[in-house]
Amino acid sequence: MSILNVNQIQPVGSGQTVTISATNISTGSATVTAGTFTGNLTGNVTGNATGLSGSPTLSGITSVSTTNLTVNGSAYPSAGPLSNRNLIINGAMQVAQRGTSSTSTEFQTVDRFKTSTNGGTTTQSQETLSSGDPYDAGFRNFYRITNTTTGTDAAHYKIITHFIEAQNLANSGWNYSSAASNVTLSFWARASVGQDYTFYFRTDDGTGQAYSFNFTLAADTWTKVTHVVPGASAVVFNNDNGKGLQLTWAAWLGSDYIDSGHTNEAWAAIDTTSISNVSTTTWGTTTDATFDVTGVQLEVGSVATPFEHRSYGDELARCQRYHLQIGNEGRFSYQGGANNTNGFFSIAFPTKMRATPSFSYTGTITVNSYVASGTITNLQIDLIGPQVASLYSSGGISYSTSTNTLLYNTAAGNGQLLFSAEL
Amino acid sequence: MTTYKLHNSVITGELTSIIKNPNEAVQICIPFDPANTDYQKYLEWLEEGNEPLPADEPS
Repeated sequence: MSILNVNQIQPVGSGQTVTISATNISTGSATVTAGTFTGNLTGNVTGNATGLSGSPTLSGITSVSTTNLTVNGSAYPSAGPLSNRNLIINGAMQVAQRGTSSTSTEFQTVDRFKTSTNGGTTTQSQETLSSGDPYDAGFRNFYRITNTTTGTDAAHYKIITHFIEAQNLANSGWNYSSAASNVTLSFWARASVGQDYTFYFRTDDGTGQAYSFNFTLAADTWTKVTHVVPGASAVVFNNDNGKGLQLTWAAWLGSDYIDSGHTNEAWAAIDTTSISNVSTTTWGTTTDATFDVTGVQLEVGSVATPFEHRSYGDELARCQRYHLQIGNEGRFSYQGGANNTNGFFSIAFPTKMRATPSFSYTGTITVNSYVASGTITNLQIDLIGPQVASLYSSGGISYSTSTNTLLYNTAAGNGQLLFSAEL
Repeated sequence: MTTYKLHNSVITGELTSIIKNPNEAVQICIPFDPANTDYQKYLEWLEEGNEPLPADEPS
């Protein structure tokens, strides 16, 4: 092999181009530098190409391997699927079948998100966004809890919770038993009180595990929080319709749950005496303090990709697997049968529910048939499954045998049928 | 205090659901599904030594 040692290669005469003809060109550990490279660069290229500008065409690339790939400002996944990435249902807080404000706890307003408390009182609500960073990112709603009456005993708490069905995690592509496989959580949060807050995951299958991290919010300022979570050998998700992963935003935790030695960012068996190491009490002791969240996304991989915005109809259909409310947006009617004082009404659910749902109703439900009409005084399950229900009324109306009967409310929201299969 | 009452299907006569708080204005009808969280709470209530009210006899 001959070696030519030179400092520069210049074109002859008035030419501007040096043409290199070789089967392979190697720079070793050096770099080839020029004002411009023109023409086609073909063959196997290893090493870094920087300063690409103009409109170069890259062809023949069979793989791009990088920790973080960003194209036009958008991060691309490092693992997992390219669509339906968000494991959270209703993360943009669009759907609120039950209502937009409630002073009760548990599932009352925004679908799939609930407020749980011990001590004091709270209001939970679906709120409208009209400006700000999350608005600019395409969000129009957020979920809020308001600390209407403080409760600051050691055992008190005020938290927001979301549950993911176990089989949705088992089939997500996350190798959750491996510490080398990650999921990434991202969300927007805002609080009226600036302080550190704790977020934590819990699993339900196997020996329940917990994983926590802290995040800091400045008062009244939307902050996008992103956190990468590894798997662990003790993390288990059954391939079934039970609870899989619990996501919790802790606005306030009493001292019973605080441990100064608590270890964040590591999976460990659930210990309710060691949920957080944040001992700040300001939010919990501030009347009418608020905590807001929206844009919740959990996805396989170690990159927070742009939020997967879904249509209202798509999100509603996903929510109705867990809760179905009929009558909120207008009248409803179902043809059934009747036998003496019993009226029967068959209802097919728009989507198969997670489990056979519980049933209740609110407001005034009215029936009307050829021979009877009036307000129902008792409406219960007769037979029910995850896809269909047969309800019957046993009071208020006297029917003739086998009369076709309509079941309805007299105005939108005046009477509602509720089917619940929440986790 | 929470109470439960068993409920038979009017059509088939079989035991099909449990009614939570049968004497209150807002009742919840709970199916016998182990995956239903209301049913899970009912089972916890039974484990505490409670007993549900019997179902009504068919009329």
